[in-house]
Amino acid sequence: MQQFAALLRKDSRPVRYLVVDDSVFARKNLIKMIEMFGGEVAGEAGDGLTAIAEYNRSKPDVVLMDITMPQMEGIEAVERIVRQHAEARIVMVSSVGYQENILAALQKGAKHFVQKPVKPEVLYEILRYVLSDDPSAAGAPVALAGEHRS
Amino acid sequence: MSGLPEDRNSELRALFFESANELLQSLNEAGLDLEANPSDQEVIRRVRRAVHTLKGDSAACGFHKLSELAHELEDALSPQIGRNAGSRMADVVLVAADNFGAMLYAYQRNAEPPTADSLRTMIRSLIDAPTPSASTAPAAGGIAARFQWSEYEQLMISEAVHRGETVYNVALRVDPDSLMHAAAFQLIRNVLHSCGTVIALRPEDSFATETLEIVEAALASHQAQEHIAQRCRIPSVVSDFRIERAATLETAEHELLGDLLEEQAANLAAKSGEMGASAAAQKSPAIGSAAATVAESTLRVDAARIEAVMNLVGELIIGKSMLHRSLTEFDQRHARDPVRAKLSDALAFQSRVLDELHKCVLKIRMVPVEQLFRRFPRLVRDVAKQCGKDVALELSGQNTDLDKGILDALAEPLMHVVRNAVDHGVEDAEERIAAGKPARGTVYLNAYHQGTQVVIEVRDDGRGIDLTEIRTQAVDKGIVKAGDIQRLSDSEAMNLIFEPGFSTAAKVTEVSGRGVGMDVVRTVLDNLKGTVHVSSVRGRGTTMQLRVPLTLASIQTLLFRVAGRLFAVPLSSVVEITRITDADIHRVDQREVLRLRDQILTLVRLNSLSQIHAVAIQEHIKKKRSFVIVIGAAEKRFGLVVDSLVGEEELVIKALPGEIICSDLVSGASILGDGTVVLILNVPAVLSRLSRATPLGAIA
Repeated sequence: MQQFAALLRKDSRPVRYLVVDDSVFARKNLIKMIEMFGGEVAGEAGDGLTAIAEYNRSKPDVVLMDITMPQMEGIEAVERIVRQHAEARIVMVSSVGYQENILAALQKGAKHFVQKPVKPEVLYEILRYVLSDDPSAAGAPVALAGEHRS
Repeated sequence: MSGLPEDRNSELRALFFESANELLQSLNEAGLDLEANPSDQEVIRRVRRAVHTLKGDSAACGFHKLSELAHELEDALSPQIGRNAGSRMADVVLVAADNFGAMLYAYQRNAEPPTADSLRTMIRSLIDAPTPSASTAPAAGGIAARFQWSEYEQLMISEAVHRGETVYNVALRVDPDSLMHAAAFQLIRNVLHSCGTVIALRPEDSFATETLEIVEAALASHQAQEHIAQRCRIPSVVSDFRIERAATLETAEHELLGDLLEEQAANLAAKSGEMGASAAAQKSPAIGSAAATVAESTLRVDAARIEAVMNLVGELIIGKSMLHRSLTEFDQRHARDPVRAKLSDALAFQSRVLDELHKCVLKIRMVPVEQLFRRFPRLVRDVAKQCGKDVALELSGQNTDLDKGILDALAEPLMHVVRNAVDHGVEDAEERIAAGKPARGTVYLNAYHQGTQVVIEVRDDGRGIDLTEIRTQAVDKGIVKAGDIQRLSDSEAMNLIFEPGFSTAAKVTEVSGRGVGMDVVRTVLDNLKGTVHVSSVRGRGTTMQLRVPLTLASIQTLLFRVAGRLFAVPLSSVVEITRITDADIHRVDQREVLRLRDQILTLVRLNSLSQIHAVAIQEHIKKKRSFVIVIGAAEKRFGLVVDSLVGEEELVIKALPGEIICSDLVSGASILGDGTVVLILNVPAVLSRLSRATPLGAIA
């Protein structure tokens, strides 16, 4: 098993994660990794609606969000969470086949994405990157239409 | 497996197989929906979601063959292909569900999974166009960025510099291992926009990004170069990058670029020490970090554990009646002792709690019939297709709860009955139309509670059972003698289909003629202390009713004595109790019968069935009065002649090992509070003995 230096918040407390996936298995898998990284599970959700409620309740540091879920898909959940909480750090978790959806999620304000099957070392780097952002530098999400075309 | 240790592996594996089976079920359901409605985009999305989850989960578990297959299928599940493929899509989905199931089965037993070549061919035929080739290999060496901005862009750069902003040329190499270039490109855009104003970007949009290698941008920003550099180091998306101060319009000559580059590189090296500080910049909302994990609302428990609890509760119930008896004895000896009231209060309290506990444990074992019913849409579809018939299945009563053990045991017989209904019951389309029925046959599957029993009903609107045919067959197969056949009532004749070796289908079909007949159905139902009943109207259809007790763990019984021995019969099969004198008993055809109101009831004496206490019989026959327990199973009724009634009692059934019982007339035993052993009568077996061992009276 790989060893990871614990990813901590600036105040040296464990990073708190919200794990959103309709597959219990996938959630469990992610949670195992989160625990390897010294993080804490602030909440879990199996669909977009619950994810929003859980976000409001637990105010996690990072959200790991599946793209395809029943009731409300990941993209819409991202949009709604970011609309309310511009500071939200959402990492999309999905497979290669869902590129358009990831694209859309990124346009709605997701911070990063990771491919399934999730490799712990990849997720670790991504989380480290996402956690290292500077709030003052966080810009608004960007639409795809090229607004700087000549 | 991605770096998870062994013990976690096995835990995850178990979870995987459980959830995978659920996924397969939903695939099956979606496949059927798709067949009914091939262009339903929502269903295709549902299938895709299920396949997608299966792919991800299996890959994480290291089941690569399954994962790859799921991936191939997922590719074929686009709405466009769904539109073109029509009903072929449904076939592929259903075949895929079968293949996935076979692979899971193999994985579960650590065997080599079967190759699914036929499925692959089907998938490939769905996708007309070949799959795009893999991403190109990464180019060797540094980043060949050109930073060739248009005249307008150069003007913008100059203006930004004039405003006091710093303009950087940034080049990022997209990680060649990233399979999602368009998403990678979007993420890079997001990051660049979060760092400042993007003046120019190459490529300009995400079209044709599949072969994208390098993203170039001109970025105006107030941020420090190190900060931008840090943000550009995007893991798993950017493998390499370069950042430099952009030349303004005046100095934007290409020959100068090399010098500028070197200068920036030096800058970068000098300032790299400060980078840690800005990199650590991080907002963290002030929230307590108490682990508020979501409480799991469902719990998966090994059935054996519930079984163990159930057994213990059974022992407790026996213990309770022991206490009751002791208390009664105590009452008699010390009627005036004040402790008596305390004891009896305590006992009343204990038995109330015990009752609750008993109910709760029983409830744990209850599952909705839907768990069983959900397999049937697929079964009916497959059987109907094999027989070339058009058959719809209608389900109702899925929410009826039933003991899990009974439900599992019912799966086989119920499948057999449903198969029969589709194969033998429902006619061909032409025959149906000729009979004035809709071309499409229907099989109804229904479940409901009735008293302490659950009834599962399979009804078809087919041709019904031909009694003449049954009579002929029964004689041909030597089940009934030719002379006796006409004496059988219609319902008795109908029940002949449950005899071993009986099959009315003139030809043995692949679907239902597998050597197992309806007798297997009856055997299973007998073991479950249930009954199976068939009724049919020629030309209108057949109904099969499978009745099973709510639970196997304990039953309400009626206790009675015959020849000094204690017996019990399930209360659910007791229709009524009546008192008779010997004068009421008549002899017809060497059987003892009783005229009860307007019905003739065959009487049975336990001692004549089992030939116990042959001597004692004589004395009891001489007795003037006795009781008759009228017992009904399905449509049959008989009267059990008993010496005395003891009362009702809830018995916890203890199964008897085969070597102890030498008769199928007893289905189990139980212990009463005083330690007395009671034998529980097996009503269906008594009934069948009754019909076979004619004439009964000869023994008496």
